[in-house]
This record gives sequence, C-alpha cells and structure tokens, in this order.
Amino acid sequence: MINKILIANRGEIAVRILRACHELGIATVAVYSDADRNAMHVHRADQAYYIGPSAARESYLRADKILDAARKSGADAIHPGYGFLSERADFASACAAAGLAFIGPPPGAISVMGDKARARAAALAAGVPIVPGTDARAHLSDAELIAAAADVGFPLLVKAAAGGGGKGMRSAASQAELPAALAAAHSEALAAFGDGTLYLERLLPNARHIEVQILADMEGNVIHLGERECSIQRRHQKLLEEAPSPFVGDDEELRQRMGALACKVASAVGYANAGTVEFLMDEDRNLFFLEMNTRLQVEHPVTELVTGIDIVKEQIRIARGRKLSRKQSEVRMTGHAIECRINSEDPYNGFLPSIGTITTSILPTGPGVRVDTGVYAGYTVSPYYDSLLTKLICYGESRGEALLRMRRALEDYRLIGVKTTIPFHQKLLDSHRFMAGKFTTRFLDEDFHVADKPPTNPRIAAILATLVAHQQGQQTAHIQQHNVRDTSNWKWVGRWERMHR
Amino acid sequence: MKYTTSVNGNTYQIEINSAHQITVDGEIFAVDFESVSHQPLYSLLLDGGSHEAYIEYDAEGWQVLHRGDRYTVSVADERMQRLAQLGGLQADAAGREFLLKAPMPGLVVSVPVADGQPVEKGDLLLVLESMKMQNELRAPRAGTVQRIRAQAGQSVEQHALLLALV
Repeated sequence: MINKILIANRGEIAVRILRACHELGIATVAVYSDADRNAMHVHRADQAYYIGPSAARESYLRADKILDAARKSGADAIHPGYGFLSERADFASACAAAGLAFIGPPPGAISVMGDKARARAAALAAGVPIVPGTDARAHLSDAELIAAAADVGFPLLVKAAAGGGGKGMRSAASQAELPAALAAAHSEALAAFGDGTLYLERLLPNARHIEVQILADMEGNVIHLGERECSIQRRHQKLLEEAPSPFVGDDEELRQRMGALACKVASAVGYANAGTVEFLMDEDRNLFFLEMNTRLQVEHPVTELVTGIDIVKEQIRIARGRKLSRKQSEVRMTGHAIECRINSEDPYNGFLPSIGTITTSILPTGPGVRVDTGVYAGYTVSPYYDSLLTKLICYGESRGEALLRMRRALEDYRLIGVKTTIPFHQKLLDSHRFMAGKFTTRFLDEDFHVADKPPTNPRIAAILATLVAHQQGQQTAHIQQHNVRDTSNWKWVGRWERMHR
Repeated sequence: MKYTTSVNGNTYQIEINSAHQITVDGEIFAVDFESVSHQPLYSLLLDGGSHEAYIEYDAEGWQVLHRGDRYTVSVADERMQRLAQLGGLQADAAGREFLLKAPMPGLVVSVPVADGQPVEKGDLLLVLESMKMQNELRAPRAGTVQRIRAQAGQSVEQHALLLALV
C-alpha cells in the first residue's frame, strides 16, 4: 500500500510530484535544507522535515537523513525525482530494507545502467548498436585514455563513468585538446558524483540526440511512449526538448523500431517503472544506444502532453504493483509539444548563473500552456543547487502552432529579480534553422549565438533608455534641491556662530 | 532636456519636451511612460504603440531587454556632452581598471593567469564553480592581470574581488 509519499527532492520536480500525489489523494512529505525552508515544495506538502545544511551533500544526498525523515513522518514510499539520489542503487536498496517502496526501478537495473560500461554491454547483448568507445569498467588512467584515444577516433567525448545530465563531460577535437578535457571532466565528475572515473566515446558528426520514454510494470510488460527530440544542448546540457522529433516526423516505422529497441534494452535489465533510453541518430537515421536514465526525466512533460499519460501517476501506479494502464496499441502521439528550460543564467553573459530574490513572477497562461515551476515572487535563488527554476511547456496541433504558442508564452512570462534564459529561447525560436527543424547536437555550440541577429528595434530601445535616464536624473536633481532647502542660510550661520563661541 | 542617445551604431537626438511629449530626430511623439510596480520593468506607450522592457544600468551603460533583444544604450545629456567636448570625460573605458568580481558565491577551481600576464579580450581568467557548473570568467578587454586575490580551492562570496585587469 502507498498512502504517504516522501519526495526526496526539491525545486520544480518536487512540486510536480506533489501535484500527482495530491490528485491521487496520497499524503505528501517534503524534505528541506537550510536554504530551502521557504521553497515552494515545503509550502505545498502536507508535512515537511528538515534534513540539514544547504550543501546538497549534507542534506539532499544524505540517504540516512532522508530515511530518518521517512520513518518519523510515517511515509510508506519515496519518490526520488531526478538528480540527487535518484540513480543510486544503494539508496533504492536501503529504501527496500527500511520497508519503503522506492518509486523507481529495482536496484539491479539502476546499477547496470549507472555503470556506463555494463549498460553498453547490456545494450549490445540485446542487439542494440552502441557508439565506439573505451570500456568504462577498465578505470583507465589519463595516460591510458590518451593512448586509447587514437583507436576511438577524433572528435571524441570524455565522459564520467558515473555521469549523467552532461556533467563531467568534455569534447576534444584532437590529441592536443585531450589533456585539458580530461582534467576538466575529472574535477567536475568528482564534484558532481564523488567518482572521477572517465571513459572515451566517439563523437558522431551531425548526430541528433533522440530519446524514448518507456514504462514497465513489475510483471514485465514494457511499453514506449514515443520519442523526444533533445538535440538543443549547450555543452551537453539540454535547454529545449520537443515531442515528437522533427527528424523522425511521419516516419512511423522508424518510431516503432526505435521504441521496440528501447523496450528491448529495458527488458534485458529487468526494468520496472519509468525510464528513458537515449539514442544518437546519425545523418542516415542509424541508431546508437547512448545510455539509459533510470528515473523521471526533466523533459517528461512533453511526452505527457502528446500522449495524455501522466507519467508520475503511472510511476506510482507501477510502484503499487499494478499493471500498466495501457497496452502499446493504446498509446498514440497527437499534436506537438515543446519545453523550454528556464534557468537562472544570463544568456548574454556566457550563461553565467544568476542568484538573487525573485521580485515578480507572472506566469503565462492561456490555451496550450503549462508551467512546471518551483519559484515564486519573494523566493531567493541560492547558489547551492541546479540553476533550473521553471519549465515552460506548450502544446499545439502542429509543430508550427506549438512554436508560435511558445513564442507568445515566453513573451507573456514576467520573471524578474534574476537573469533567466527566457531571452535565449526567444532568439532560438526566431532562428530559421530551428524553425525548419534542421539542427544537430552541435547547433547551439557552433552555429547559434544569442546576439547573432541584429536587434529589430533600436529606436524604441533608445527612447526607453533615454526616458529612464531622464526620470532618474530628475529624481537625483530633486533630492539635491530638497537638501539645499532643508537648512536655511540663517540657520546655518546661527549654528556656525554657536560652534565658534 | 536634450539627450544624445546611441545604440548599435545608431545615434538619436531625443528631447523630452514634457511628461507626455518627446521629439526624436525632429519628429514629435506623444508618450506615456511608467515603471511597472516599482520594478526595473517599464511600460511605454508611444503614439499608441505599447512597449514593455526591462531596463538596468551597469558598467557598460543602459541595458534594455525588449522582446528578447538586448540593447546596450548610452545616453548623454547636454551637460555631459559639453564636458566630453571640453575633454572632461576623456578617461575612456580602456584606460580604467577592470575589477573581476565574483558574480556569485562559489568555489574557485582554477586561476590560469599569473600576476603581470598580458591577456587578450576573451581570454580565460578564472574558473568558478557554482550551481554545480564550472563557469569560465573571461577578460572583457585586453589588459594586464594584476592583484590576483583568489586561488584554486578557495570559496568566495558574491562580489568578492578576484583580480584586476589594467
């Protein structure tokens, strides 16, 4: 039985999971660190437990404190969200040992997929092609990796064996760039995962990053919910996702073949619950297995909008031991959905993170618009966690309608107090290559810059700036005059005389 | 009050005639201009056209964010222009010191420059880890690195001085 769920996460995803629980009539428990006392997920949950200092490794990554909160609150299940403890097999096992349902896959599946080398071997055994690379299980030293690089071939990617979400990943175009890439990836991997083990993988030119959402119940039924297009990435961090992929388009045969491969990979590792199989697709539509994410994805809402399936509710249903609510033949993708990740980063300044207090937050609404957010006016963005603040998801009957709707919704969104990636998305949606769907994973890093096109309305900008400058100039002048009048000359002379008596 | 305003290589002569009327390069416009709920968000009605923008002032000038476009605008009033003509404002941007400050609290990962090292615009000065990301702080212009105040492994607060560029 699952009657009360503890959500071992924060931010927008914690709020998303709370919503599903509340719709199902399940009681909720939030956990929070020092920095998050006033976070939205704490306010919205039925119960909330403090788990420690702001740094994630002292709070959200502390399995013992989270299990303790679960015991104290009387929760019977834990939803890990994404990031933090979501892909830690030991945590999933610890939940089971404590008599708690872990809303995610069995520990065995997590550990196979969490180890990139075993994951690649599993995919290969299931008949799914993989990208050439070194064996991550070998724990190669930097010198050994440099020696192996020639066999892998350039350009290549340096990746963290324990990695995910683009962290601890660097590209190298040549032997000369490799040492710096290794050093950067090593320290980032160590900071993010506590494990600096690296491996190499060939970088496929003009590849697209396309992933398949799967659902599996505990009886071994596996279905897929179609693909998501995730090629819009900056330094391997996804910024915008859509479903379906404009490259797959009307090719239903390809879609079903890809879906079937994803289901095969999942079955091969005894998967249960929601998961995502990531593929690279080359120019000739050849598929290569990249990795499997054994958790709910950031971009799950686009699939929800085109299939009508609530993935989080489905996760809970599976964790309750029930059969999938649908058969493969009952899954249909209709229309098109796009998600823009709105991060507290300054797109006009190298995507530098921005912190501060959000002073205004007016959400876009209207037809076909969904906002998954974890912030509100008055909330302070701290430097401790991921910069993802909110996700804007738009649905349309066609890709064109979804694009235009997203453009409209981005313009409607008023999020003030920190710099955000909203203007970046506005420029991206204006780019002809994006509109035409002609982009690869290299698009943002090589062919697109937020300040590329000349701005359209310099005269309006000039007038606006002049009016603000004028208004502020008037204010200062006014304050100065006020001060001058405040003390009359007579008073001033009187005081001066008294001082010198 | 008369202003000379330039943006993206275009220069405009703008005169504020009254609270509701301006002249731009000889053309008269009716304006209604207000800040929205005391935020750096402004609403401009210009001859019936409605425009909304975020406007902030920083070291480079007025930053205007309007419909996803960002403009860096410089506004000079008559007094500033006279001073400039007299040579009073000759201390141009290139001659001043640039102080690299931490844009957010974080951990200094590396400082790949040394005291006295000449750098070009866009060169990497420092890597700061924050929000689980390694952020590369680069030189906004060419210059010489001086007074390095940060070292690898050090935690810094927001606005902490990291190094100077002269």
